[in-house]
Amino acid sequence: MDHASPLERILRGVALTVVVVFFMFPLVWILLMSFQTNETILRSPPSLVFQPTLDNYRALLGGRLVGAGSTLQVSYVQNLMNSVILSVSSVSLALLLGVPAAYAFARFRFRGSEDIAFTLLSFRFAPPLLVLLPLALYFQQIGLANTYIGLIWVYQLIVLPLILWIVRGYFEDISPDVEYAYRLAGHSWFAAFRKIALPLAGPGIAAAGLLAFIFAWNNFVFALVLASADKQPVTVGALAFITASGIQFGQIAAAIVLSNAPTLLLALYAQRHLVEGLSLGAVKG
Amino acid sequence: MSRREQDLVDAWLRGRLDRRGLIKGLGALGVSAAGANALVGMATTRAMAADFDWRAHAGTSLRLLLNQHPYTDAMIANLGAFRELTGMDVTFDVFPEDVYFDRVTAALASGSREYDVFMTGAYMTWTYGPAGWITDLNEWINDPAKTAPAYAWDDVLPGLRASTAWNGVPGGELGSPDAKQWCIPWGYELNNVSYNRGMFDRAGVAVPTNMDEMVEAAAKLNRDIDGAYGVGVRGSRSWATIHPGFLSAYANFGQRDLNVSADGKLSAAMNTPESKAFHAQWVRMIQESGPRDWSNYTWYQVGQDLGAGASAMIFDADILGYFMNGEGNAMAGQLGYAPFAANPAASAPTPNVWIWSLAMSNFSQRKDAAWWFLQWASGAEHGLFGATEMDFVNPVRQSVWADEGFRSRLENSYPGYVNQHDVSAPGAQIYFTAQPLFFDLTTEWAATLQRMVANEVPVDEGLDQLAASVDRQLRDADLG
Repeated sequence: MDHASPLERILRGVALTVVVVFFMFPLVWILLMSFQTNETILRSPPSLVFQPTLDNYRALLGGRLVGAGSTLQVSYVQNLMNSVILSVSSVSLALLLGVPAAYAFARFRFRGSEDIAFTLLSFRFAPPLLVLLPLALYFQQIGLANTYIGLIWVYQLIVLPLILWIVRGYFEDISPDVEYAYRLAGHSWFAAFRKIALPLAGPGIAAAGLLAFIFAWNNFVFALVLASADKQPVTVGALAFITASGIQFGQIAAAIVLSNAPTLLLALYAQRHLVEGLSLGAVKG
Repeated sequence: MSRREQDLVDAWLRGRLDRRGLIKGLGALGVSAAGANALVGMATTRAMAADFDWRAHAGTSLRLLLNQHPYTDAMIANLGAFRELTGMDVTFDVFPEDVYFDRVTAALASGSREYDVFMTGAYMTWTYGPAGWITDLNEWINDPAKTAPAYAWDDVLPGLRASTAWNGVPGGELGSPDAKQWCIPWGYELNNVSYNRGMFDRAGVAVPTNMDEMVEAAAKLNRDIDGAYGVGVRGSRSWATIHPGFLSAYANFGQRDLNVSADGKLSAAMNTPESKAFHAQWVRMIQESGPRDWSNYTWYQVGQDLGAGASAMIFDADILGYFMNGEGNAMAGQLGYAPFAANPAASAPTPNVWIWSLAMSNFSQRKDAAWWFLQWASGAEHGLFGATEMDFVNPVRQSVWADEGFRSRLENSYPGYVNQHDVSAPGAQIYFTAQPLFFDLTTEWAATLQRMVANEVPVDEGLDQLAASVDRQLRDADLG
């Protein structure tokens, strides 16, 4: 039952509106920009009244960038597909490898376990450029340069430690007693892992997976150094709109809208798990 | 091909008809534009193949690393002609300009054999050359067995040939007899004035021809034109702030960045009385009539403001003004171009240049074949195709600039452009001293300029501090 006075309700509504406008404004502005030409975007002062156009999206999807007196070829759709392939594959692989590893680190004490876990975490400390040039040399020698497999492997440097350490924390938060009871009934440790630990840590795994996906999606430098132009993700591809003949703001805005869509949809879909997962971690005491 | 079509094409090949006239003539004979272009391509290929074995490397495949640029687009559009002429295959990687040089450096530093040819700026070769990453191209240019007689290396503007050749000795004169040709000029930009004709008319201001007039004109435009400032120049903390208008004007007063002593030692040259007077005038111009957030200005902002009508003129790359006059800009069709000699006593402009060039990777396994591509891509025929059919401006060859079709196309849509180029081209070259600390020292110069404009340091004192710092760094690097 709501005991708030009408004034309190109004004030709360106003406060919520202010917060929503504050946080949503950049996104809405970018969305509006994506339906404008460069000429209207660069008007001074800016205006909310304009003739909407789908030209920016057409240029992105059609691969032809027309602006400031010149036409350039862009491969934004291919960049987008590359991002999807690289992020989905590397996070899937990291979940496949990282979740059992996280369980092992959480449940079993073995010689060197902390050292191994810390070594994996230390991959996150090294500046990427420090390792990328030597890696480029090795990749060329073993034929992994310019391949999705090579890139997915290198992406593990970003996603694997993240998943391993976050998920390990969730496994440690779950009382082992439930698993012991299950194993006393004659089940193997693998069955206990699959039937008991995994479902209980589900929200945590979803949260870690989503975070890892965002990190992988936002990565810039790995593909730039290790792969050719046809394997580049959106983060590199989006720079194609800063051209010798000017900055194509409308197309940049449309590119941001398109590139944010998968992450946004994934976050909306996994929202319940994400909140659960993050708050589970937050109450660890 | 009919007899009359053949006659027209032959007339063009003998130079009696320009390309535009040829296509018009073919049109009159009922040949479509696409058909005419195909005929021209076939005839050119036949003519080029007559006196040189273009097919010596048929079947070889080359890989290029390219910057996303209208020059690249012009080349890709004409690549079919190269394939047909040589029987070679070409694949390429195109990267956006913001990350392009990171990619080049990564590929070269890792000794990658992936790329045979790549685009570069002349300044970058001062690092790549001494590092052994690129090849001295004199070996091919001077070999008649490997270079087509029609290549005409001397047709490339002399200032550009010299600016892309360096002997590798810090302070060594560009284009000296012992210089190595690190790259081949491909397309270039010189620095002059691009201005908004309507705004100049409204304010009753004449196009400035020297620094005093520019300061005055910019101030009046700043006052009289609502919603626009007087003059756009770059201001970010980067070497790129120094190299366009600023250095072009500075060099026009006979000033240098560094002194080179008889024993080859380098020292700062930017704190002379003349340099201080020029810096003071430049700083005052920005303070009075420059953009409000000048210290963030790269060429993007400088060009964008001109195109959007937020500035009355720019002193920057001529091709920046060229692109801002194109469709998609609020000021499309309203811009004009003029040569600019900052020093009233100077006889002609001395624009510093940015040269997009083609270089050969030293790690390439197909160097001869790569040269076959380089001479085609930097040849007069492709230059003319790019300049007349695409946005391959500014061309680096004198013969392309002499082409009436190209000149009239420019003159009709870009008033004053041809003249500003004709007047400036003889003095267009790199005015920096070639040395390995180029990027560090020039960036510090830009940072000092920022402090002067922000009134954090007086001009005289700032330049003395800069010179002391430059001298220290040169000594530390064993160059001074």
